Amino acid sequence: MSAVAVEVRPPLWRRLIGFNALTAVVFGIGGYYLGWFIGHHINGASVAYLGVGGIDQNDLSVFLGYFLGVAGFLIGMGFGVYPWARLRGYPPSLREKEQQGVGRYFGLCTDHKVVGIQYLCGIGLFFFIGGLNAMLIRVELLSPARQVFPAGQYLTLVGMHGTMMMGIMSSAILGPFANYFVPLMIGARRMAFPRIESLTFWLLMAGGAILTTTIFFGGFPTGWTGYQPLNDQANTGMDSYIVFFALVGISMCLLGLNMIATIVTMRAPGLTWSRLPIFCWGVLSTAVLQLLAAPVLIAVLGMAMLDRTAQTTFFIPSGGGSPYLYQNLFWVFGHPEVYILALPGFAIVLELLPVFARKPLWGYRLAVAGMLGVTLLSWLVWQHHLFMSGINSNLRPFYMLSTELISIPTGFTFLCGLMTLWRGQIRFTVPMLFCLAWFFNFLIGGLSGVFLSDVPSDVTTHGSFFSMAHFHYTIMGGLVFTFFAAIYYWIPKMTGFQLNERLGKIHFWVMFIAFNSTFAPLFAAGFLGQARRDVTYPAHLQFINDWVSISAFVLGASMLVFLYNFVHSLLFARIKAPVNPWSSLSIEWQLPSPVPVHNFDQIPVFTSDPYGYGEPSRPSALPAASPAGGSS
Amino acid sequence: MSDVAHPATEYSIVEGEPPELMGRNLNSAGHLLASATAFFFLAFVFAYFYLRSLNNDHLWRPKHVDPSLTLGTLVMALTVASALLVRLGVLDHRAARRAQWRLKGALALVAGLIAIVLQFVEWVSAGFGPADGGYASVFIGWTAFNVLFVLGTLFWLENLLATAFRYRRIPSGAPAPGEASGDAGRLGHDIADPLSLVRSGLESLSFYWAFLAGLGVLAWIVLYLI
Repeated sequence: MSAVAVEVRPPLWRRLIGFNALTAVVFGIGGYYLGWFIGHHINGASVAYLGVGGIDQNDLSVFLGYFLGVAGFLIGMGFGVYPWARLRGYPPSLREKEQQGVGRYFGLCTDHKVVGIQYLCGIGLFFFIGGLNAMLIRVELLSPARQVFPAGQYLTLVGMHGTMMMGIMSSAILGPFANYFVPLMIGARRMAFPRIESLTFWLLMAGGAILTTTIFFGGFPTGWTGYQPLNDQANTGMDSYIVFFALVGISMCLLGLNMIATIVTMRAPGLTWSRLPIFCWGVLSTAVLQLLAAPVLIAVLGMAMLDRTAQTTFFIPSGGGSPYLYQNLFWVFGHPEVYILALPGFAIVLELLPVFARKPLWGYRLAVAGMLGVTLLSWLVWQHHLFMSGINSNLRPFYMLSTELISIPTGFTFLCGLMTLWRGQIRFTVPMLFCLAWFFNFLIGGLSGVFLSDVPSDVTTHGSFFSMAHFHYTIMGGLVFTFFAAIYYWIPKMTGFQLNERLGKIHFWVMFIAFNSTFAPLFAAGFLGQARRDVTYPAHLQFINDWVSISAFVLGASMLVFLYNFVHSLLFARIKAPVNPWSSLSIEWQLPSPVPVHNFDQIPVFTSDPYGYGEPSRPSALPAASPAGGSS
Repeated sequence: MSDVAHPATEYSIVEGEPPELMGRNLNSAGHLLASATAFFFLAFVFAYFYLRSLNNDHLWRPKHVDPSLTLGTLVMALTVASALLVRLGVLDHRAARRAQWRLKGALALVAGLIAIVLQFVEWVSAGFGPADGGYASVFIGWTAFNVLFVLGTLFWLENLLATAFRYRRIPSGAPAPGEASGDAGRLGHDIADPLSLVRSGLESLSFYWAFLAGLGVLAWIVLYLI
């Protein structure tokens, strides 16, 4: 910045209100009740606070409550200041880039590194809640007959687990790690739109809070897909699902837009497309999917909302609509969503392997082509989810083949990863162990996916625990393992402190063994006829289910090992991490830990890609000889 | 220790960003936003043709479901006219005819607002409700969300106009580094040339508004003519 900023004391009212998480919650609750009141005033329907005195069936009041609640939450957070100033023709006037203090983590902050850490903690919180739901599901399935939860509550548990995981975890890599590291990797000081970056995080948090309130409104019976006609028929707990996923969609769309704009316009001089770190390519591919798929989700949820409030008949056959319309539109979003979850995992693995194999990334261009190929093909496969829904049988072969075709670009990334390992000097650090586990897990996930893409075998496995095991191998095996790889790899840079290596290895081995012990038997359970989302199952499947439940509890316990390591290492042990503990050539590791607010004194000039391991020592980026900005 | 950054360096003395950065960012954002908007309305296009082809219970479009072509055409024409005026305003702004840009911008804002009012009039006087079949649902849903997008774009236009009017007397020069870069670390009083904010935003707005008007024409063809 050329001019030295002069501190201006904000007006009294702003100092009193403060704009932080506390005011956001207060305004959010106030906004909810205002919307709820207006909704009841419009509809004149029965009054019930939080379900006391009966379930509130006035969907309009619930939707208005959520919308005004979110608006109040964001205004309380400080997001109203910028548009209000611009509305009156003034430039922005709020200091949003605090440089120090814990307070910056509880409000609107435009420092991409703060937003990254906010995401990591926020996503961790909802991952924990979603995981807790999974544990409760496995408690219920210890016995073939119903014992702990009534069927309706069980369905809500399944729905909350799935929705929370699919919604919140869509940003598991892009939220914490892309926000934090993409600007560093491309030599920028910030994201293209820092306020939008912060907005995406707080929208996600508001959404997560709203989804958890579904239990006050009777829950929802549809699972994470929100299928019609159950969706239209469900009580107001369904509204929480709709608003949650719509907020996730808006957040994803804006996150994708911001990432693409940042990578396209803010790369430092010399950082050509062929020198872009592979992680950034993965982020770019994911961002394209987020930008284009999320609007379809928002639109279909908008239709569902109109069906439930304005009495439109989009999904009601007796009113000229069709539930299949929902299925089609949902999966136009839903299948790219699978790759929104999987692609960042590819990117993490390909980014980390060269560091720990001490070899250049094999087939850089092939890996990029693989990720872009997956991005493209993921739009052409959605109807394989409708094989059993009565689609025109002439369409089945096309979608079967397009689904199988996607294994080719996926194979590119697999091949590049394996060839990078070939004859490498592999260091079995904790992040590397998680990356290696990805190969094993994702292979099983991918191979079992072929069964589901083939019409004949899909007919027998659709809707069973087989498909459930498949997507857990793909999503948990592909995303969550790489999520932990990224945490162990980058936490020393993000915090300046190192995690305990021994505890990390215990976490890995317990998690890896328990994960496979949990989900591999479910393939068998599916083949033997256990249906998804059923609270009861045949008695002869009890042994498998008990085995799986116990394994799941061990899997849950492995998360506690991680949590202990995380909290103990960062809050109590606080052992300073070396600036570059992995001897990485990537530019973020050439910066101090933690990274200064301004990232770079001068924008660097890139001279090569960051994968020159095993070659004569050369830096991938140099300090600029003179002040320079981004390149076009 | 790093060669490219030091923790002790104060943010206020690091170099400024290039002035054209915000323009580049907004330009790419405008195009990306247009792509996302296209996919959003694609869902309604799909719904239209899907429900029309199914015609469940012969309730796709009962006879009384017939929105006013006159009002629909007016809404579409006003949206297109508004986008056209903004485009002409951009040309004026490039040629340093700031007064003319403000006039055209204000007219564009008024045209857009009238289009929204007419859309409300059409809903109220349509003679059918949201529950009257598939077409009625698509019609209400599509036009309602279109109004939301138009409102958002008009808010953007108002922002630029308000800045242009507020600082209409200050001369506009070449912005200094960091001036119009959109750097979130800058405070309002740091920005000596607020008109640079208008300069970088107007081109992007013009593109997006023209795109949205194009979608309005598509909606008009699908909902009224087919």
